[in-house]
Amino acid sequence: MIGIQRRRIDIEAVVASVRRDDAGAVVLFLGTVRADPGIRALDYEVYRPMALTKMKELAGRARTKFGILDLSIVHRLGRVPVGGDSVAIACAAAHRREAFEAAAWAMDEVKRIVPIWKAEAAQTKRRGRR
Amino acid sequence: MRIRVKLFATYRELVGARDLLRSVPDGVRLADLLDGLLREYPRLAGHRDTMLLAVNREFVEPTERLRDGDEVAIMPPVSGGRP
Repeated sequence: MIGIQRRRIDIEAVVASVRRDDAGAVVLFLGTVRADPGIRALDYEVYRPMALTKMKELAGRARTKFGILDLSIVHRLGRVPVGGDSVAIACAAAHRREAFEAAAWAMDEVKRIVPIWKAEAAQTKRRGRR
Repeated sequence: MRIRVKLFATYRELVGARDLLRSVPDGVRLADLLDGLLREYPRLAGHRDTMLLAVNREFVEPTERLRDGDEVAIMPPVSGGRP
C-alpha cells in the first residue's frame, strides 16, 4: 500500500496491508506532529505524482535490499494537528531484524527523496483554509 | 520549446506562483532555464545550491537537456526531522 491522503491514516489498514502468513515480524513506524513551542499543526505540501513514484520505488528497493516481504507507506497531505500521524510505514519480514532495519531505512529515504514539505500551520493560516 | 515549471513550498511563496510556462530555444539545458528564472526572480537566487531539480518527475542534474513539453520541478530540500 502506497498512499498520500488528506484524511486520517487508518493504522490498522496499513498494518493489515503487509500481514502475511510467512511473516514472523511486522514493524509499524508512525511519524507524528510534535508540540514544539508555538506549533499547533503542520501543513504538508506534496508533489503528488513524483512523491507516489518515489515511494513505490523505495518500497521496491527495501524489498530487495533487506529481503523483507512487504512494505507500505502512507503520508498525509494538508493540515495535521499536534499528536496526529503524518506518516505511517509498515513492514513485514520473516524475522524482526530486517523488519526494523527496513522500516528505519525507508523512513530515512522518505525524508531524503520523496517531495513532501511541511510548514508550521501557525504561520500559514491562509493555506490551511484551502 | 514550451516548458512547464512547477514550484513548491517556500519557492512557490517566493515566486508567487505554483506553475510557470516558459518558451526556450531547442536544446537548452536545465541550467540555462534556471539562470533565466533566477534573473527573473532574484529572491530564488540564494537557494540555487540547495534546490532539488526534477524533469518529468525524476531527479536530474542541471546539465540535463530539456525537450519540448517537459515538466520541470524546482523544489526546496525535502523537509527534515532528525532521525
